[in-house]
Formats: sequence, C-alpha cells, structure tokens
Amino acid sequence: MTGRIAFRRLPLIWRVPLAVSVLMFLISAVITERVLDRLGSIQETYLQSIANSYLDGVTASISPSVLREDSWEIFDALERLRPVNTAIVPLETIVTTPSRVILAATDPLEYPSLETMDDLQAERFPDRQIRIESDDGLAYLERDIVYQDTTIGRIYTIFDAGQLLAERRDVLSTLILTNAAFTVLLVLVGIITVRRMIRPMQTLENHMVEAAEGKATRIDVSLPAAGNSETRRLFMAYNSLLDADEERRELSTRLAEEEKLASLGRLSSVMAHEINNPLGGLLNAVDTLKKHGANAGVREASLDLLHRGLQGIGEVVRAALATYRPARQSRPLSLSDFHDARMLLSPELRSRGQVLELVLENSEILACGCPAGPVRQAVINLLLNASAASPEGADLFLRAARVEDGVIVEVGDRGPGLPAKAVRLLTGPARRNLPEGKGLGLWVVRQIIDEIGAGLELAARPGGGSIVRIRLGPGTVGEMGHAA
Amino acid sequence: MSEGHRSRFAVALSRRRFIAGGIGLPLAFGPGLASGSPLPMLRFGLTPVFLNNDIQLLDALKVYLEAATGHSVELVTRRTYQEVTSLLVSGQLDAAWICGYPYIQYRDELELVAIPVWNGKPTYQSYLIVAAGREAETILDLRGDIHAFSDPDSNSGFLVTRMLMFEHGLVPDDFFRKTLFTYGHRNVIRAVASNLAQSGSVDGYVWEVMLELEPELVSQTRVLRRSKWLGFPPIATSRAMAGTAKTRVLQKALIEMAANPQGREVLDLLRLTGFEMPEESAFDGIADMVARLRGVL
Repeated sequence: MTGRIAFRRLPLIWRVPLAVSVLMFLISAVITERVLDRLGSIQETYLQSIANSYLDGVTASISPSVLREDSWEIFDALERLRPVNTAIVPLETIVTTPSRVILAATDPLEYPSLETMDDLQAERFPDRQIRIESDDGLAYLERDIVYQDTTIGRIYTIFDAGQLLAERRDVLSTLILTNAAFTVLLVLVGIITVRRMIRPMQTLENHMVEAAEGKATRIDVSLPAAGNSETRRLFMAYNSLLDADEERRELSTRLAEEEKLASLGRLSSVMAHEINNPLGGLLNAVDTLKKHGANAGVREASLDLLHRGLQGIGEVVRAALATYRPARQSRPLSLSDFHDARMLLSPELRSRGQVLELVLENSEILACGCPAGPVRQAVINLLLNASAASPEGADLFLRAARVEDGVIVEVGDRGPGLPAKAVRLLTGPARRNLPEGKGLGLWVVRQIIDEIGAGLELAARPGGGSIVRIRLGPGTVGEMGHAA
Repeated sequence: MSEGHRSRFAVALSRRRFIAGGIGLPLAFGPGLASGSPLPMLRFGLTPVFLNNDIQLLDALKVYLEAATGHSVELVTRRTYQEVTSLLVSGQLDAAWICGYPYIQYRDELELVAIPVWNGKPTYQSYLIVAAGREAETILDLRGDIHAFSDPDSNSGFLVTRMLMFEHGLVPDDFFRKTLFTYGHRNVIRAVASNLAQSGSVDGYVWEVMLELEPELVSQTRVLRRSKWLGFPPIATSRAMAGTAKTRVLQKALIEMAANPQGREVLDLLRLTGFEMPEESAFDGIADMVARLRGVL
C-alpha cells in the first residue's frame, strides 16, 4: 500500500520508465522460463537418444561376454566402444549381473569387479528414462541386458551432461543480457519520451511559480519549445489569464485614484464650507473698512479680523495642497503632516461634534525617513473611518510616537469595533483586487501599508472603541507615489 | 641356399624365383601358378605377442619377408595361441611365431626355424605384475585377487605362474578370487593398470618393450617377481614342412634380418637384436615345467 503511494508520488518522468521496466522484467522472466524449459526437454531427448544408441551398441557387443561373465571381454569392449567424437561422453559404464554383482566397469577402481553395487549407487539410476542432475551435471541411466527374452545383466551409465548445462547457462545469460539491454533501451526511450511530453507542463509550472512570486512573465508561444497546438493553446490561455490579471490590477489602481479623488471631493466641499464661513465675515470687514476705515479703532479691529480669517483659509489651502502634492515632490514624514491631518478633518469632526486629540510624543525626533504622502493618505483615511464609525460627540485620538526602531502611529475611535470584513481587509492575506461594496478607504490603507512595507495591528481601546496601529520600521520604503 | 647369399635382394629375388619356378610348383597350388608366374604364397602365423594391432609392424614385416624370400607373404593372426598352433600343426601355415609352451606341447609335430635374440640372448622372463602402488612382496600376498593371465597356452602368461603356484601348493581357483584370460600380454598390463585385475602374468619382454613404448600405461604397474630365464618364443614350422625350400628361404631371411637395413627396421620395431639358429636345449626349462605339471593342468 505504501509502495503504491510512494509510486504515485514519483514524478511522471520516473513513473512511466519504471512501469516499463517492471513490465519488461515480467515478460522476460516468463520468456526465459519457457525457453529454458523447452531447451531442457530438447536436451534430455537429445541425451536420451545418444545414450540409447551408445547402450544399444554396448549391449549388442557385450551380451555374449556377459553370458560368460568374462570381465576382461566386457572391459575391453567398453573401452573400445567409448565414443570419442561426440561432446556427450559416458563417464562411467558399469555392467553387472542381474543381481547387481559388478562384472566390469570402465573404472574398476571405483566399481571393482565381483563387488555388489550398493543400493545408494543403484538408486541414482532411474530405469530407462535419463535424468540430468543439475548439481553435478551428470546424467544417469540404467538398462537391462536382455538375451533371448532373459535378463542376463544390467548396464549402468553415467553421462557427463556438463556441456548441456553449460549450454543452458549460456542461453540463460544471453537471454538475461538481451532482455536487460532491451529494458534499459526502453526505459531510456520512456524517459526521453515522457520528458518531451511534459516539457510544456514544466514551462507552465515555472511560469506559474514565477507568477506566485510576483514576477509573472508571458510564455513565448513562438518558441519551438512551445510544442504542439495543444500546448500552444494552453500557453495562450495562460497568457490571456495574465493579461486579465494585469487589466484587473490597472482597474484597481484607477479605482483607488478615483477613490482618492472622491475623498478629495468630500474634503473639498468641507473646505469650501470652511472657506465660505469666514468669507462672509471677511467681506463684512472689508465693507466696514470702506465705510469706517478712517476710524483707527475700527480699522485695527477689521484688519485683525481679516488677517485671522485669511490665515485660517490659507492654512486650509496649504494642508490640502500638501496632501495632494504630486509624487515627485514627496518628502519625509514630519510633525506638520499630523497637524495637517487634523486640520483637514476638523470640519468633518466639527459637523459631528467630535473631538480629535493629537498626541505627539518625542516630537523632536519623530522623523523616520518614511514617505510623507502615503502615510498622510493612510492616516486621513483612518481618521475619516474613525469619525464615521464613532457616534456624535465622541473623543478620537491621533497619536504618533518614536519607538526603538521606528515610529508608531495610532488612530483611536469610539465605534462598536471593526467589522470582521474590515479586520480581514486590514490584517488578512494580501489582496490586490478591490473589495465589493464599501470599505474602499480601508482597502487603500492596506495597499499603502503593503507597498511601503509597514506593519498594521488592531487593538481594543480602553473604554470602548478600537485602535488601529501603524508601525513604520526601518524596512519601510521611501518615495511611494503612485498608489496613494 | 648353400650357394651362399647375395647381399642385394633384387638379385636374390630373381634367383629364388627361378628356383621356385623349377621345384616349388608341384605342391599345393592350382592352375593359377603356371610357369613363370610368382612363387607360391608364404603363410606366416603370428601369435599376439605384444603389439597385436600394430599395423605398422605387420606391414614392415610383410614387406621385408616378401623381399627377402621372394614369396608373397600372408601374415595370419588369430586371437588365441591355440588357434595359431592348430593351424601350424595342421599344415595350414608354413611357419609361425609361437610360444615356447605350445612348442613343447607339440614338439613331435613341430620343427624350430629360428629363435629371436633379445638383448643379445635368446631368452626372456615371465613377470608377475601388480598395480604400481600396491604393497605386496610375494605371490602369497596376492590371495583373493582377480588375476589376469594372458593365454592358457602362454608360457610367460600362464605356465610360469601356474608352476610357481604349484611349487607353493596353491590352486588357482581357490587362491585367486577369479582368473581372467585376456589373450594378449598388452591386455594383461591394461587389466592390471586399470585395476580390473589386481595382478597378472605377463611376458617380461613385452612388459619391458611396452614400458618404452607406452610408459604411461605400463608405469601404472610394477613387477612383483621375475622368473628364471627361459627360451624366447621361437619361429616353428610343422614337421612336414621342415626342410622345404620355402622354409629354408624363410629361415635365411630371418637369420639375415639383422644384416639388412629393411630387416633392421623390423627388428627395431620389435626391439630385438635379431634371429639365430635354434637350439633345442633352449626350451629345456619350459619342458621341465610341463613335465612337472603333467597331470595337474
């Protein structure tokens, strides 16, 4: 079971050749077994016929001598009848009486005349049918010597079948070598074929891995490696996927820009209101100056009023300018950015009767080299969100403090807590796509945080509400322009 | 023959042909041998002395005898001494190389023609042999053996051992477990070397010569006992043929063999010195044994 799982886990490039080699091994094992079996029976038939013709000759020649029990004649005949021009030679021939008393043998030292062949020796000889003992390469055969329908003796022969066994070994090793060569060849062909087949898949995989790392590139379908029309279609589909993604990203960027303009619009209307409020007073003061300019006291008071009114308008305009300054004029974050944020928010806050507490700790060394534009945009968005989430008359805060390795910026509200969707948007996995419906402001915050490499945390505010904390660390990149 | 011999065969041949053409025809040969045709066939019997299948030796001997006698020669070999002796005694052979024992047995019907000389003497010994590694000192140590004899009509291959046993009061069938007749001295050596038989009785001359020719076979045996010197197997003829011209040319060819290059080759193959005129007394030793064993065999 684990073997099957391990096999399935193997790459395709190994799985197919492995399967081929296992199949080849099985086929060659079956073929080898059949060939050797057939060869074995052919050899035994061959040996049997050789043995029969040898024994026919010997029996015919020695029968009279066996009748006379003439050991010398039998011995002499056995020596003379010993075949010399054949590969299969009888090693031993033993002639006995019917009661197994040895009359003569080709090796009288091993089988002395007049001794009785013991059972152990005789048992090795199967009657008539030759048998090859594969351990010693010897073949044993026994035959009765029949004369006028009477058994007058027995003849035992041991053949050296070593050459037949060597032939079998030769055939076996030839089969094994041939099959091994074929298996290796087929495995190589399998590897090459599979490698060719899956090469387009690897190209696709490489591009996808690159895409996951944010370095997506199109596959060049004009290259020869693109393969056949199937893989070409696959590559083209991948390329169109990339194109669609790219389009969506551009759309997101454009929407973010539009969102920035939308928030600017909202702020502009407030600013117009801000400018318009003192404008009536200022025009009155101008009228007063026209009518009663000669009166020094009135003139002083009117000029003073004009000065304060224009100063207020000027500040509103400067803050707005700083927020929407083009990217190339970006500069490092400074304390004034936080003041500007409060300034821009103040009409919104005032309309809802809310109070924003600005706490700037260690204000002298706040500068961290972070880009001012994106941070201002993020802070303003957070403040707008905090104001919207908090009830009327709530106390909000904007806090900036120097910590060991950077700067922490916190925005606190008195809202009911961030909804789960907003939490996911701010702290969940990065999403390049626009969220559906509302929450565009927070999505822009997240984009900014990701792009400048800052950290973002959420916390509950003592006494109700939430705190959104931005950590600007040493890794924070400068000069971000296009996203915010 | 008394005209003396010529050393050159060609001359000798033509002369003998002449003589044969004059006197030899009336005997046994039919119409095929008319005047001017070749001399009658000389049938020469051989007992299986040792190299019983040595074609080279038989060829050389035939060629020499034909050249030296002028007769065409037929060499007749038989498996047993008995067969050859019978052929000789019955006159079917002109002469034969037989053993000393049959000669003594048929002394009244046979006449000696020549006797071989081995190492300068017309005598040889009988050997009692055993396997090379065997520890035995006398024939008494051979009890229970399968014993290989050469031939029941062989002096060295049977009679001598039989006599020895007689002297020890031993009966072969009781003393030995089994006795074999191999009908050839070389076969006795083979039987003992292969351990088919544990001991054997063999012609000492054959054993010595074969030690030189087939050392691998013969060195598997060793000599346990050597007999006294006895008359070498002679060439004999039947009494009826004795003194005929054919017998005399044969005798001359044999006696002169050592002086002839072609004859020398034959003698070299046989490892013999030559042939000499026989003396009856050479076989006294064998005759004595036959006499002592009369009634026992």
